[in-house]
Amino acid sequence: MSRKLIIDPVSKIEGHGKVVVQMDDNNQVTDAKLHVVEFRGFEKFIQGHPYWEAPMLLQRICGICFVSHHLCGAKALDDMVGVGYSTNTPMLPTPEKIRRLGHYAQQLQSHVTAYFYCIVPDMLFGMDAAPQQRNVVGLVEADPELVKRVVALRKWGQEGIKSVLGKRMHGISSVPGGVNQNLSQAARDRLVNGDDGLISLDQVLEYAQDGIKIFKDFHEKNRAEVDAFAEVPALNMCLVNNKGNVDYYHGHMRIVDKDKNIVQELDYHDYLDYFSEATEDWSYMKFPFLKALGRESGSVRVGPLARVNVTKAYEDNCPLANAALEEFHDYTKGKANDMTLHTNWARAIEILHSAEQIKVLLNDPDLQKQQLVLTPADNAWTGEGIGVVEAPRGTLLHHYRASKEGNITFANLVVATTQNNTVMNRTVRSVADSYLGGKAQAEITEGLMNAIEVGIRAYDPCLSCATHAMGQMPLIITVLDANGKKIDEKIR
Amino acid sequence: MSENTVTEIFSHELPATPWNPEKKAIEEAKIQVAMIGFCGCWGCHLSFLDMDEKLLGLLEKVTITRSSFTDLKRIPHHCTIGFIEGGIANDENIEVLEHYRENCDILISVGACAVWGGVPAMRNVVPLEECFREAYIDSATAVPGAEKTIPYHEDIPKITTKVIPCHEVVKVDYFIPGCPPDGEAIFKVLDDLVNGREVDLPSDINRYD
Amino acid sequence: MTVKVTIDGQEINARAGEAIVDVAADNGIYIPTLCYTKGKPCLGTCRTCSVKVNGRVMAACTIPVSEGMEIDANGAEITDMRKAMVELLFAEGNHNCPSCEKSGRCELQATGYEVEMMVSRFPYRFTPREVDHASKTIWLERDRCIFCQRCVEFMRDNETGQKIFSISGRGTHARIEIDTDLANKMPAEQVREASDLCPVGCIIDKTQGFDDPIGKRKFEVKTIRERVLEGTHR
Repeated sequence: MSRKLIIDPVSKIEGHGKVVVQMDDNNQVTDAKLHVVEFRGFEKFIQGHPYWEAPMLLQRICGICFVSHHLCGAKALDDMVGVGYSTNTPMLPTPEKIRRLGHYAQQLQSHVTAYFYCIVPDMLFGMDAAPQQRNVVGLVEADPELVKRVVALRKWGQEGIKSVLGKRMHGISSVPGGVNQNLSQAARDRLVNGDDGLISLDQVLEYAQDGIKIFKDFHEKNRAEVDAFAEVPALNMCLVNNKGNVDYYHGHMRIVDKDKNIVQELDYHDYLDYFSEATEDWSYMKFPFLKALGRESGSVRVGPLARVNVTKAYEDNCPLANAALEEFHDYTKGKANDMTLHTNWARAIEILHSAEQIKVLLNDPDLQKQQLVLTPADNAWTGEGIGVVEAPRGTLLHHYRASKEGNITFANLVVATTQNNTVMNRTVRSVADSYLGGKAQAEITEGLMNAIEVGIRAYDPCLSCATHAMGQMPLIITVLDANGKKIDEKIR
Repeated sequence: MSENTVTEIFSHELPATPWNPEKKAIEEAKIQVAMIGFCGCWGCHLSFLDMDEKLLGLLEKVTITRSSFTDLKRIPHHCTIGFIEGGIANDENIEVLEHYRENCDILISVGACAVWGGVPAMRNVVPLEECFREAYIDSATAVPGAEKTIPYHEDIPKITTKVIPCHEVVKVDYFIPGCPPDGEAIFKVLDDLVNGREVDLPSDINRYD
Repeated sequence: MTVKVTIDGQEINARAGEAIVDVAADNGIYIPTLCYTKGKPCLGTCRTCSVKVNGRVMAACTIPVSEGMEIDANGAEITDMRKAMVELLFAEGNHNCPSCEKSGRCELQATGYEVEMMVSRFPYRFTPREVDHASKTIWLERDRCIFCQRCVEFMRDNETGQKIFSISGRGTHARIEIDTDLANKMPAEQVREASDLCPVGCIIDKTQGFDDPIGKRKFEVKTIRERVLEGTHR
């Protein structure tokens, strides 16, 4: 019989999503889509608000990657008031490093949450284990020591964020041209040495390696299945520095193909020349793609898997992460890795990378200095700004314009998870074909459906971010006469 | 049934590996909690995790049934506590909130969005049509030459004209303001409830921002 | 001249003619206020300081104490009435604390915490209100105005003494207006004075933004109650 198999809602991800798989009378999958069902309207309702409120407002798009939104907003405001990267006045070292510290702490915390709370349970218990088992509570029973380490690691990341932004979530730090506080010696010492209830930096570096170990063990035992699971083609994009290595806070955009050849390189200020976003009637999330290549070939992947594919190496002062990255690169011998579940390996490597980058910053006395804001010159106001960072889930872009009086007149956001819309739908279709295709309804179990969700979870999608936009079509009823000529039209 | 009708089957209704019966018995004897997020950023759910190690102690008395951290897509049985985040922004939200009210003894609105609408409610002062026009018709990244499509499909919900606070739709028993409320504040209220004390959120940890 | 009054059953010797709010604060009893500015004429516009005086509900900032007055400041009924006043203010405007520059130093917010407001018992109205950002340094965020009229009465042009702010319209159509030319004449210190005088985040100094880190904001360092009781609040 022809039927629709529905997953509603997709769990162990951030935000609201639904999967609908259509199967025909011959038990073939005819369609499989991820429907994103949220919408909020940030791009509209932020208009009229003062530009300095943008980072504070827009970070509330998402409860996990709020620092990324905050920093995109901050960089856009820097452009707008006429300082920083888009001008000849480079950012001051202290505020840039403070912003980086907040960003890396968020990456650590966000990846730990996604990896251990949402992805590891399916790895350790199996995709088709009892649904009541496949979560962090099940982990507590199976491996209480691991959960204690995870909770402690996440807590440390959150405290890192709090020391920069004043709160663990939705804090205040960036002002146009800089930040509003440095990292005091006391706050820095507390993060390095730990205290009652807070682990030390050394313990952070130790625990940050747990994720890689868990993946490698899992991969050892399930190599064939893991490698075959949803190998989907896509271009890979992230921000890189002048050495061609990933920089989560600032750089230019680089897109590489399967052979790691550079397909496109651009200053993110020019993104409108390169990208379009298509809309479908069945999802509130749009579909970005490179204009020059068209929608099918021009869809990019962003996030941990894309970043490890694009980057040649990490900084010299991150030796552990560099070694882990080398091992990852060796596995596909010079080609980009398209295996969906390997995203989780990449994510685990990035947990370690963030920890090492934080260590470097915490040993940098610039963070305790006092010069916090770059004051723009008179008449430096440009009224327009674009900010891009690598959020945990991928490349995030904020673009605003404001009038001289200060009110925002335009806002456009292109969010990481939106970039992944096409490749996620490819994954959903691939898993549906492999795991459900050819099976009669009686053979299809909840566990098999969970496999589709496992594919989605690898992207760690942030569906709240992706649907910052607003949509509700007015129903337009056109009355045609017998000759097809329009005689009336009503708009609901 | 005609050949033309399409049967809808939900994944959570399909046969699943059964839960270990001993574990099941232990968990079902605890206080049952269900969690849901509507039109919010899920920050309050993450702030819930910010009670850090205290979560482990809480989990000795409490079982989390439906939530975004577990794979339970529907409330399996009547629960004592419903943790609600986010305001009401589409027709599905309304149905699910009413379902939660029916199936939970106590509902708690957690965070600014559930309490009064929060940041998403900023769209309440802008006409609905203008909001959609901005995102899908006049979008800076619209595909040149393509027909402008606005999402409207049987598989996605319809949006309410305004974002509505949860207690203006169903009765809510407790409120924890904040954007998000601190993990301490969430823990205090849950701890009071779980231990049968009168709920008291002291002013020094209650915040609206 | 001293008079004897009773506040919540406590006998107090007070200076005749002093406002009930001040007498209470001097004696360790906190009565919340929003439009009151010590040392300046009382306005009586917000009614947040309502107490019962000899059984009748009155604004404590507008009533001078007299011999034998019996004041119920913290009884259950009047406390709840004051809480309802604050909740009414939150439901009437668009008070988005999460993204407001004044958060942490806002008197309405601080008072909300003191009266233990969790949610407004009144329906949230979401009335569209137009912003005014025409002047060079002042952003008038009308969403947050509570019509206390401190700005109308007490902000004057340095040269002519003219009012800079005024109210136009009546009832639900009332709104605060700013004279753009006079506002542009205000020196930086006076702009900051106006922004501090405003109990909420309506009068915003365009140069200020979010310069106070969380944890170091005015009412986080010391609560409004503590400041009132030690006499350092307005």
